[in-house]
Amino acid sequence: MKLISSALLVLCLAASAQAQQEIKVGGIFDLTGITSDVGKPYAQGVRDAVAWTNENGGINGKKIRLVDVDYGYKIPEAVAAYKRMTGDEKVIMINGWGTGDTEGLKVQVNQDKIPYVSASFSAHLTDPAKTPYNFFVGPTYSDGLRAWLRWVKEDFKDKSRNPKVAFFYGDNAYGKSPIEAGRRFCKEAGIDLVDEEIVPGAFQDATSQLLNMKQKGADYAYVNVTTTGVSTILRDAKKLGLPTKFGSNPYGFGESLPQVAKEAAEGVTGVMVDVPFGEDVPGMKRLVDFHKKNHPDDTHDTFYVRGWTYVLVWSEALKRSDKAGKLNGEGVKAAFETLKDFDLGGLTAPVTYTSSDHRPTTTVNIYQIKNGKVTKAKQYEMERKPEWLGL
Amino acid sequence: MLSGEFHTSYAGDMGIFETRRAGWLLAAFIVALFAIPFVAGSYWLDVANRAAIAVIAATGLNILTGFTGQISLGNAAFLAVGAYTTAFLANHGVPFLFACPLAGIVTALAGMVFGIPSLRLKGLYLAMATLAAHFIIEFTSSHWEAVTGGVAGTSVPSPRILGFDFSDDRRLFFLIVPACIAHLYFAKNLFRTRVGKAFVAIRDQDISAEVMGVDVFRYKLLSFAVSSFYVGVAGSLLAYQARIISPENFPLGVAIDHLGMIIIGGLGSVLGSILGAVFLTLLPEVLRLATSALSGSFPHLVQLFTPLKGAVFGLTIVLFLIFEPDGLADLWRRVRNWFRLYPFSY
Amino acid sequence: MELFLQLLINGLVVGCIYSLVALGFVIIYKSSGILNFAQGEFLLLGAYVFLAIVAQANVPVVPALLLTFGFSTLLGLVLERVVLRPLIGEPIISVIMVTLGLSSILRAIVQGIWGTDTRPMHAVFSLEPIQIGPLPVARGYLYSAASVAVLLVALTLFFKYARPGIAMRATADSQQVSLSMGISVRRIFALSWSIAAVVSAAGGVLLATMRGGVDGSLAVLGLKTLPVVIVGGLDSIGGAILGGLLVGVLENLAGGYLDPIFGGGVKEVAPFVALVLILMIRPYGLFGKVRIERV
Repeated sequence: MKLISSALLVLCLAASAQAQQEIKVGGIFDLTGITSDVGKPYAQGVRDAVAWTNENGGINGKKIRLVDVDYGYKIPEAVAAYKRMTGDEKVIMINGWGTGDTEGLKVQVNQDKIPYVSASFSAHLTDPAKTPYNFFVGPTYSDGLRAWLRWVKEDFKDKSRNPKVAFFYGDNAYGKSPIEAGRRFCKEAGIDLVDEEIVPGAFQDATSQLLNMKQKGADYAYVNVTTTGVSTILRDAKKLGLPTKFGSNPYGFGESLPQVAKEAAEGVTGVMVDVPFGEDVPGMKRLVDFHKKNHPDDTHDTFYVRGWTYVLVWSEALKRSDKAGKLNGEGVKAAFETLKDFDLGGLTAPVTYTSSDHRPTTTVNIYQIKNGKVTKAKQYEMERKPEWLGL
Repeated sequence: MLSGEFHTSYAGDMGIFETRRAGWLLAAFIVALFAIPFVAGSYWLDVANRAAIAVIAATGLNILTGFTGQISLGNAAFLAVGAYTTAFLANHGVPFLFACPLAGIVTALAGMVFGIPSLRLKGLYLAMATLAAHFIIEFTSSHWEAVTGGVAGTSVPSPRILGFDFSDDRRLFFLIVPACIAHLYFAKNLFRTRVGKAFVAIRDQDISAEVMGVDVFRYKLLSFAVSSFYVGVAGSLLAYQARIISPENFPLGVAIDHLGMIIIGGLGSVLGSILGAVFLTLLPEVLRLATSALSGSFPHLVQLFTPLKGAVFGLTIVLFLIFEPDGLADLWRRVRNWFRLYPFSY
Repeated sequence: MELFLQLLINGLVVGCIYSLVALGFVIIYKSSGILNFAQGEFLLLGAYVFLAIVAQANVPVVPALLLTFGFSTLLGLVLERVVLRPLIGEPIISVIMVTLGLSSILRAIVQGIWGTDTRPMHAVFSLEPIQIGPLPVARGYLYSAASVAVLLVALTLFFKYARPGIAMRATADSQQVSLSMGISVRRIFALSWSIAAVVSAAGGVLLATMRGGVDGSLAVLGLKTLPVVIVGGLDSIGGAILGGLLVGVLENLAGGYLDPIFGGGVKEVAPFVALVLILMIRPYGLFGKVRIERV
């Protein structure tokens, strides 16, 4: 009897100790909604990276428990998931996804002091005076658009006039995020913004928008949707025989684009935040090893890599805050702000956060599709202008 | 054991409760209901609040579709009208006690406007008209940025009564559930009055009703108005509860959900609205608990959750319609009668 | 002017696909009086099944198409027997809800089996456009226009001269009289659901091939066909075809001219505005049969 009760006691202690040794992180992903084409590989990247971190020492010995949910890119679902994670599960921080829901939750996140690392690169999340608890890993959408516009200016060979540019964007917060920055930069850089076309969240046919753009005679067009929408636009443009050159943002451009849009994707440029999967950089080794060991038959892309980079960054922040003995919301936020030129082994540019500036990096890589493959075209170092903070 | 009632007055026969015992049981139930905020966690309170809001909306729809026979697919749109009106008023400093009823009235007016086609259209065609109303209102809410904040949506401050701030779900429970009970009581009473009986007459045989002197068009519009008032109030409470609203809160799926609630619950029955709304609000939660419990052994379930939700919803509706077309209310009645009349069978 | 012409042509060819799906709607309604809200999902399933057969089983295009049609026939038969038969005589709202529930289930099945990614479709015909006058038109659109024309002729002949076709028209008029004349009403229902499923599958395959990929949003088309059938008339085949073309043109013109003013979204809402207007002016559509009510 005594043996059994003491065994039970030990078990209970072990269980509670085990529970104490866990760090709960929330994960809000889009696996079935309109951005699931890029959301699924990203989510897999995060999950794999968490598993790899747990296998390799965890957070100073403690294991990460990812409480993940699929919210289908619907803001009300994200709000419900947030309530559940902070109310019931008591997570310490959240790895979120979309622009709309992240911007919608920013007030709440600030009140509850929950560090929120979103896949959204919206510049509206970079000003700690307004959104001190929001972070992300990569250049802002706005910097990406500015860099692409700079590439346009260099690529346009006719020196007698300004290049004519059109913006295509979705009718949601994600689509609209960099547009104002883009408008202002066009004025500064001597580019004529001749047309802005809005597309619905999910669409099969962009012909009427493209015909409108054709009337305005745009030489280049920036498409601010996800890869599925970009392919539709590229194919429709090819059907109409348009000469316009297209470019896209970090969630509209990836290895899958040439596969779906086929010959319509040739020559298309885009902002790539992370390297393509399998690229020869020092940080890629652990991803490739993990992939070989666990799911060698799957294909991966740059969005999978992106998920990994996120976990690498926030697990470092967790480690630092744990060492400082402050494993809570404020402590993790402070830990993020100690990251300076944190190196990710070439998977993406090194990140820096300060208490006055949450722009992780201003390095933007422009890639281009040549012969059905994504290849690096040019790297831009955008200026860290104070008036661009939060825009 | 009870075997039938015996009333000696007309008032007794028309009473809401068939027996006095039923009345006491209901009172006890309500008391128990108010104990929930003291024991439940914040997430389940959120679920409870959403269920109560759904009950109000479903009751509104039932008044229109179940009792008056006018099929409406516009519930999501009217919910949106109520919610956005409230957001607009609240953000301009109108206190809760005025904003909520006002939102209901505005939605009632909108409902009357979209009820005008019911003069000429019936059944299927009316459903199509209300579907069109849904898309038109959705378009308006995405584009009228001055009032609705467009696609990004708008945030709503928490309701205050006399300085007391209802800022979280626990406190909102004490606002939403009494409102729900009040609306249900009103609905139950409505069908004891002349107006309610006119509604039912229109559903059963509208041409005969017209012949008998019921002004069909006027009562149809009134039905749209009352129903939309309910849905507007539900939308208003939803705005206060969700704190952030955007057009994504009101997709067509919500209207289909509400229709599902009244069909599963039972058309033409206030109890049916309650049962159906609670059932369909709890269904995804139960499903979520099941999938997270099983996800240890079947890790792919997280990804399957959304399609599973859709499949279970569809399957529930189809099965209920095939096997239990009168809904949960009828099922409840049969079960209750079995207990009441035991050992007799009728 | 060129913009107008291009929008017109684009509208006509997109409208052909709407007509195809609307045909399925109308066939079911004509013979059994049920409005099938799951029509879009038939389209979706047809496209996915075709892709699965072509991509995974490596079957060439024409046999794959026949196999897909066979699957759709089976689907129509099963659904009619299992789901719709028990609901004969129930009020119309129950029938509407059943088909809505069905659409939920079918969509969930597709999502569960194949996920929500866009799967690239094998090119059945090349992407190079054909020039019609000054305008390039996608080859796929022309094929769909051609298929719609063929189907229209075939179905009109079927309903006018073939025995099952005449039987279907008789059933639509009065089930009791048809039964007393020896027509198996049950078989007619089964037949109409199968034809509708096959027609939708054809539309789905065409649409997917033109878009280059298959994904969940194909089902949205089902909702768009509601304005088409109301404008054309719920029980008129010619109406479905004409309605499809009209709605396609209206959508594109409205989108082309009004989208820049309103900032987008007009394309989606225009057919529904047209729906409301038609319901106010001519509720039975352009070619539908007018129902006169007597007590």
